Amino acid sequence: MSDDIKAPGFKSSELISGLQTAFSKYSDAEKQAQIKKTNGIFELQVTNDNKETVTWTIDMKKSGTVFKGKATPKADVTIILADDTLVDLASGKLNGQKAFMTGKLKTRGNMMLATKLDGVLNGAKAKL
Amino acid sequence: MSFQGLISGSECAAPANPLSQVLKHTEGDRSLQQDRLSGPSTSRLHQLPGTSAPVAANEQDLALARQFFEGNSGGRGIAHGYPMQHPADLGRMNEMNFGPGMSDAWSMQQQQHMRAMEESAKVNWANEFGNAAQLNGSSSSASASQQALPSRPDYQQRTSYIPPVHGNMMPMGMYGANPAMQYGLNSSFNQQVDHGKGKGKQVDYEAAFAQFADSFGPTETQTSRIEEVDDSVANIEEALKNASLEGEGEEAGMDFQKVWDQLQNSDLPPPKEDMAKWEAEFSQMMNAQRDELEDYGTSMQNAWESGIGNYDDTFGPSIKFDGEGIPILGDYVFEQNNKYLDPSSSRSLLGEAKQLLENNGSLSEAALMLEAAIQQGELGEGGYEAWILLGETRNMDEREEAGMRALLQGVQKAQEAGAAGAGMLSLAISFTNESYDRGSHTMLLRWFRARFPDVKIPEETIKAVSTNSSWDTHGRITELFLDLARTQHAQGTMDPDLQIALGVLFYTNSEYERAQDCFAAALSVRPKDYLLWNRLGSSLSNGNKPEEALGAYREALQLRPTYTRAIYNVGVACLNIGADKEAAEHFLSALSLQESTSGDTSDALWFTLRRALLSMQRNDLADLAKPEAKPNLDVFRREGFDF
Repeated sequence: MSDDIKAPGFKSSELISGLQTAFSKYSDAEKQAQIKKTNGIFELQVTNDNKETVTWTIDMKKSGTVFKGKATPKADVTIILADDTLVDLASGKLNGQKAFMTGKLKTRGNMMLATKLDGVLNGAKAKL
Repeated sequence: MSFQGLISGSECAAPANPLSQVLKHTEGDRSLQQDRLSGPSTSRLHQLPGTSAPVAANEQDLALARQFFEGNSGGRGIAHGYPMQHPADLGRMNEMNFGPGMSDAWSMQQQQHMRAMEESAKVNWANEFGNAAQLNGSSSSASASQQALPSRPDYQQRTSYIPPVHGNMMPMGMYGANPAMQYGLNSSFNQQVDHGKGKGKQVDYEAAFAQFADSFGPTETQTSRIEEVDDSVANIEEALKNASLEGEGEEAGMDFQKVWDQLQNSDLPPPKEDMAKWEAEFSQMMNAQRDELEDYGTSMQNAWESGIGNYDDTFGPSIKFDGEGIPILGDYVFEQNNKYLDPSSSRSLLGEAKQLLENNGSLSEAALMLEAAIQQGELGEGGYEAWILLGETRNMDEREEAGMRALLQGVQKAQEAGAAGAGMLSLAISFTNESYDRGSHTMLLRWFRARFPDVKIPEETIKAVSTNSSWDTHGRITELFLDLARTQHAQGTMDPDLQIALGVLFYTNSEYERAQDCFAAALSVRPKDYLLWNRLGSSLSNGNKPEEALGAYREALQLRPTYTRAIYNVGVACLNIGADKEAAEHFLSALSLQESTSGDTSDALWFTLRRALLSMQRNDLADLAKPEAKPNLDVFRREGFDF
């Protein structure tokens, strides 16, 4: 299953694969917690330097899974970004807000949900 | 709109013509304006360098504004300074041919600007609109006194947009508390900040010109963009006529025109329904114009409407919220087997718990004592004290869910007892941690009203909290807080609680740098407040400064070694640096602290420990680390974890 998700030529492929693994290992309670918090389906349209595009879906609303392909049912937000941007986002080098405002990240759909992508990708957030 | 009309337009047209204000102090360098106002032309920019600086604005303004430009990259600061870009304007700019080099940079800037727009709530614009109409009357007095500090109240609304800009470009010690500089800036901005799309456009305009005059190069694309933004209001109508927008765009532009006129003519801020209608049209127009705008339009609408919060039950029962965004959590769940639940004893558990906390004792123990105290009816002052203390203790112990419930109880009881305000900040923080943004805003507003009952709060703000999206409420509430902070600073005081509340606001909005400033300010007055150190740490950590965050957490832990949350945060910071093993060790030590007491452990700790273990590729251990299983922690010790 994890091989299906990878896409050659994409730096963020490893990342997404890792995310999928992590989510699949979540206990039900943990999944529920994450879903409660996020409550949305993200569709990522990632383009790499060679102008290829791959679509990944992170479902944090119904199933709590990550997979390649478009979202079913329809995603709450579609995020269009470059391979490098996704890598930066996940590593914490760039945060969703900044990416948004500098145009590195485009959205279609529920924009506010896109700001939660950080949390989903990073996972660990400090508590105030 | 004729040039004449623009130059000598009557004051009531002022919102549409910020230039009229500019001109008054620009010593009439009409040639430039002529070019700018007469619509798009390729020759426009070429002429600019040749012009001598038309600026009559004082040196300070220029210097400051220049700093603004130089310090500004990616348009973020500008974004805040210019929350709204007219779609028509964008369309016009799109059509404009600035010459080869510029257009690429320009479209890029435009993209950025689009992002900037999307970022800032549309309502800011609407706000401006309302204010613009209001300020109509005071325009002449304003322009007359441009060199002097204008009456503060008029411009309070404007200035609130300025600080974010300032915050970006210059290191600000504290929000609303930065001396002369900020006020100097404010004054300079204020001079030009009149109506229409104030926000310091005028002085930027000046500076933009000056910069153009000085050096015409690719870096000026930014300033050119700003210039265009200046014009936006003035030239909308003209632009609409000149630019060759797509057919739909033009119609939409005309609608916009109508709404514009309507707003111009009204003296009051448009009523809510109109606002909504305007926003709908606005978003419609946005949709009509460009593909990227399509995002903005529909998503803004969605975002706007989603303020009402439609959460459906999918994966298990999801959280329900009340009208104001406060989650409905249910009653507090007391621990079973609480050894302190001894009806025969007569000790004051509340008192003991407090002492334990004072002496750096175990947080879990203290929580148990408090639970017992409550269950036995010892509620403390006003019937709320014990609840709030319990909530705060649970939060410190990284048991957010329990903490929230206790705080909700406590806050309610405090309100009933007439001591409203107690525990509200802590509750707002809990909400922020759990991403209940609207709830956080609501609570902060309530705290504000309880704490500063004399400060007048605009009706819209109060209503907005119940109806609008968290983007909108964030803007309004931040404005409110900043105003007070600034007033306080003018009086030479600084309320650390207000700074903390501001910090929480910024943190909720992911504006971590500003949050850092606020918490640092509060810390300057309360250096031994371990909660503050933790908050500063988290602002740093989430703001991608994990090393500095660790420093702050260490301070917190030195003051309170049993501060579980801080230990958790240290672990998170380690994870972010990539030090997985250390992270796991921290989580384990926190867990062992909790286990040594008779209480329960924190789920969050287990979850994140698992994450760390998975990250270390130790799936075997990760499988062990489940809160339900609650393995003996020695297992981990044997595996080489040192805690």
